Amino acid sequence: MLWNVLRGEQMKLKRSPVWLAFFILPILPAFMGTFNYLQNIEILQDEWYSLWTQHTLFTCYFFLPATIGVYCSYLFRLEHTNHNWNCVMTLPAPVLHLYLSKLIMASVMVILTQVWVGVLFIVSGKLSGLVGPVPPELFEWLIYGAMGGIVICGVQLCISLIIRSFAVPVGIAMAGGILGIAALSKGMGAFYPYTLLSLGMRANSPGGPMACSLGQFLAGSLSYLVVSTAAAIIWLSNRDVAAE
Amino acid sequence: MRAILLEFRKIRGRKIWVTIAALFGVQCLWGMWAFRDMSAKELSQGYIQCLYRFSVFNTIMMPMIAAITASRICDLEHKGQTFKLLLTAMPAGVLYDAKFICASLHMAAVGAAQAIFIIVMGKAAGFTEPFPLDHLFYYLITTTFVTVTILALQQVFSLLFSNQMVPLVIGITGSFAGLFSLFLPPGIQKGVLWSYYGVLTQVKMNWDSETKIVDLQYIPVDWSGYLLLAGAFAAIYLTGRWCFTRKER
Repeated sequence: MLWNVLRGEQMKLKRSPVWLAFFILPILPAFMGTFNYLQNIEILQDEWYSLWTQHTLFTCYFFLPATIGVYCSYLFRLEHTNHNWNCVMTLPAPVLHLYLSKLIMASVMVILTQVWVGVLFIVSGKLSGLVGPVPPELFEWLIYGAMGGIVICGVQLCISLIIRSFAVPVGIAMAGGILGIAALSKGMGAFYPYTLLSLGMRANSPGGPMACSLGQFLAGSLSYLVVSTAAAIIWLSNRDVAAE
Repeated sequence: MRAILLEFRKIRGRKIWVTIAALFGVQCLWGMWAFRDMSAKELSQGYIQCLYRFSVFNTIMMPMIAAITASRICDLEHKGQTFKLLLTAMPAGVLYDAKFICASLHMAAVGAAQAIFIIVMGKAAGFTEPFPLDHLFYYLITTTFVTVTILALQQVFSLLFSNQMVPLVIGITGSFAGLFSLFLPPGIQKGVLWSYYGVLTQVKMNWDSETKIVDLQYIPVDWSGYLLLAGAFAAIYLTGRWCFTRKER
């Protein structure tokens, strides 16, 4: 059944330009971050690691959470309009599958974005004339970054399910990302969903270990995914649909 | 005037101000966090620091606030499919103007709230710098003008595309471009609409790489920047209005 619901989600997104946002957005920090790195090369002396901070710092705190917010809002927009909740809730499919299919679609987009970020990073480094080898930790940064991004997807999908507006969840994602800076500075990064992305990607300390233990990171990620999925399923099971 | 009042009546139950107030609240929280435990030297540069940091922070936040406000005010027509109905009662240009004025008043309110917050924070933290009324007034005018120009662009996309993903992605991308362009030479900055919070700021940061000392100073108004922004505003607003009035529905 999950496979069928997933195919339905795929059909809804067919020919939608939504993937363009995830394609274009990482190009900006790659281009401007590399430019900034080259301008300040005498201060930024850690080569690949310095370049990574320029590529990821602002992206992780401000812009990727907001872009994920846009994507999650988009995934629920079709249901929120044209009385479609009536149709969706009468489908012979468990609500868990309805929610998981959206989470999987959003997660796939986050994983592809991470691959694209990695490719842009390597290309930028080579074009900048960095002669050393690509950091062996790059794969790890991208994997953990994807995990953090999937957690944001879970939380944002839950918010977009409850709040029927397209723009408000995006605002919440933006605010969440900014408040994440305070959470990180207080050492609470692993306990706050919007900082898991920057923690995982080592946005401000690429050369060192994660700012929290791996156990904390995994526990935080899993907890938020389970809680957001449970909240969405309870909401879908108990609330009567309101269709516009 | 009736069209503007109508816009306010349409949004009375949508609580648009709640989203704006929440994002402004985040800005205030950040301000209070950034200006805690200030030294005597920092207190003597309190207002100038506020004006500088708020300009940078506006580059990140205000484009998103403008995008969200424009999207919410325009999306209600897309959702309700009310354009055809409305345009039998009023010309498309009037509807466009009314929506823009309604959203702009919200933006002006955010600018005023920021200025009040800076004053209150200055009193509460005990800034020892003389109160710079003229610079604060200039900050209010600049913040509102730049935000309203960005809002004009957002409104064009929010009205022309029923899929609100498009204007919001433009808002995020613009905000991103604005923030990054603050690190680029002034000539490039002037080519990016979202970077004008930084271009028109009256505060300049001097960083001595030898001594690692950061110092802030007031600089004269960049009138050429203002003129460029005014030109951009006129071009965006008139082109957007022209496209909207001619769009087939």
